Amino acid sequence: MTQPPVISSARPEFWSEFIELTQTLGSERLLVETLLKSLSQQVGALGAALYFDVGGILERQISVGGDLLPVRLDPSSGVGDPQVLRVPGGIVRFRMQTGGDPGLQPAAVATLATATRALLLSERIKRQRFEVNYRGVELEALFDVGLAIASTLNLEKLSEEVLLRAVSLLDARRGALYLIDGEEFTLRGTSGGSACERVAAGGPDVEALLRMETPVEQQVMPGAQYLLAIPIDTERGRQGLLVVADKESRQGVGPFGEGDRRTLGLFANQAAIAIQNAYLHREALEKQRLEREAELAADIQRQLLPAAVPFIDGYELAGWNRPARHVGGDYYNFIELPDQRLSFLVADVTGKGMPAALMVSTLHSALHLLMDRQPLDAELMQGLNNHIWGSSASNKFITLFLGVLDAASNKLRYVSAGHNPALLLRAGGDVQQLGAAGMPLGLFEESRYAFGTVELDPGDLLCTYSDGITECESPLQQEFGVEGLTDLLRSGADRPLPAVVRAIDDAVLEFAAGADQGDDQTLVLLRRQT
Amino acid sequence: MTETLKVTLEKRAGLAVIYTEGYINNQGGEEIARVAYEQIDAGEKALVLNLQGTKIVNSIGISILIEIIEKMLEIDGTLSFCCLTPTIEKTFHIMGLSQYAKIFPDEASAITELTA
Repeated sequence: MTQPPVISSARPEFWSEFIELTQTLGSERLLVETLLKSLSQQVGALGAALYFDVGGILERQISVGGDLLPVRLDPSSGVGDPQVLRVPGGIVRFRMQTGGDPGLQPAAVATLATATRALLLSERIKRQRFEVNYRGVELEALFDVGLAIASTLNLEKLSEEVLLRAVSLLDARRGALYLIDGEEFTLRGTSGGSACERVAAGGPDVEALLRMETPVEQQVMPGAQYLLAIPIDTERGRQGLLVVADKESRQGVGPFGEGDRRTLGLFANQAAIAIQNAYLHREALEKQRLEREAELAADIQRQLLPAAVPFIDGYELAGWNRPARHVGGDYYNFIELPDQRLSFLVADVTGKGMPAALMVSTLHSALHLLMDRQPLDAELMQGLNNHIWGSSASNKFITLFLGVLDAASNKLRYVSAGHNPALLLRAGGDVQQLGAAGMPLGLFEESRYAFGTVELDPGDLLCTYSDGITECESPLQQEFGVEGLTDLLRSGADRPLPAVVRAIDDAVLEFAAGADQGDDQTLVLLRRQT
Repeated sequence: MTETLKVTLEKRAGLAVIYTEGYINNQGGEEIARVAYEQIDAGEKALVLNLQGTKIVNSIGISILIEIIEKMLEIDGTLSFCCLTPTIEKTFHIMGLSQYAKIFPDEASAITELTA
């Protein structure tokens, strides 16, 4: 680049040369620099510098003749100094070899004042343009953080994004982000320097930090002089802290202002949304996992139920089960025995859901193991009770109705462990209840059981069921009842059993009228063909 | 304690490339300016600022970078940036730095174009 010409106020062409410079030089700064060089040379100064008042301190803007003059001056330092010339926005200081007055001509003073005024205005415009642009950066940053929150559920990444944006936009020298972890806030990210790893939540330390009280601030961010902390609050309470330290300027660091608090608050709000989203996402994933597990458990439980109804010559059979949840505490089964005999049962575990389903599994296994080893009699029932008693919680028990049909003799042996009486609808219309002859399984150790026997005539229908059917409630809290079930059995006397099961299913659903199913529902029907 | 920006200088294909690692704030910006002005005083007219190691820059840092750009313009030189994070690149566009300084996606493309 070509060096600008040196001009002299001593020459008559000074004004025209000055005007020429204003038109040819690319910037106000270069114009002032050229003038300072020219005038320094003209008056024999060792050097000269222009200082502008920046926040009460005179800061050197332009220096010629090397680094002879200090970078900063106290505003009072030039008072009465003949080497100091007042100009718009500050001073020009000459460094004379002798220390005397540089003796500037009025034309030189006028041009210098004009040029420094132009420089001052251009610097102001530049600063204002910078500030306006920077507001744009702030808005864009908040927008970007909002977009990031909408596009990812990675809390680590979002925390870093929020922290970096907050630190940079607030001109903070340092920053830290804490998230709640039990009884304390744990450091999740820092920027620009270290911070303490943990802050006790809910204690005086946090409250003091939020009030900007110095002793605690220094513990949170060692070495920091000024802190600003904002809580990250969600519907679940205080979830974290966003902390920034030491607001920077060209002169050093200082405290944060009210505007900074508002800006940091906006970032804390964004962080709160991100945290809330992350929690909801985590909960949704957990729910999905539990649902998958429940589906799996339901599959396993379905496999405990009979895949098909066995064929017994001269009899019709049907079984049906609807759990209140994915898995249930009701159980039914058919177990074919030698010599045209069939065992069937309906059982109901106290409670619902997974704990009840586990007990169903226990009952299924224990019954099959015992039946492989011994006859299906009172002793087996006692052994079954003892097994359930020994492997279940004290408040858990199982009611059960078990029948053993001898199709050759048409005799039915049955035992009930505290279960609802089975309904035996005789072909003639009478209803006989086959009631309990023993305590529920698992309720007491060493319970005793006794089998009863009935003979089945052609057209007789036996219905064993769980109380989920008879105690099904309507929206008006009325129960479906044993009568409701008996009526349906009567009306289905001439229909195939699957049709009777469907009729009961439909009637129960209609009775509930959309209300939540309160309990598992199970049904086993046995009819001697006419 | 406070971390400070690390600045290193390397000559690549005759170009002075300044690498930064850390936060470009007041201290960091001044350190970059110190290294840049040394290069300007040594006669360099093309500087490349590789910000691969920088994720964050504040307004003071930007104002110092603008001063370096102005200084380069005064000597008819150029300051170029490369390897900016999307956030910093967007900030430079909004603040107008990209009007006076070239921005390259990577150092290789910066060197290729500036030495062509």
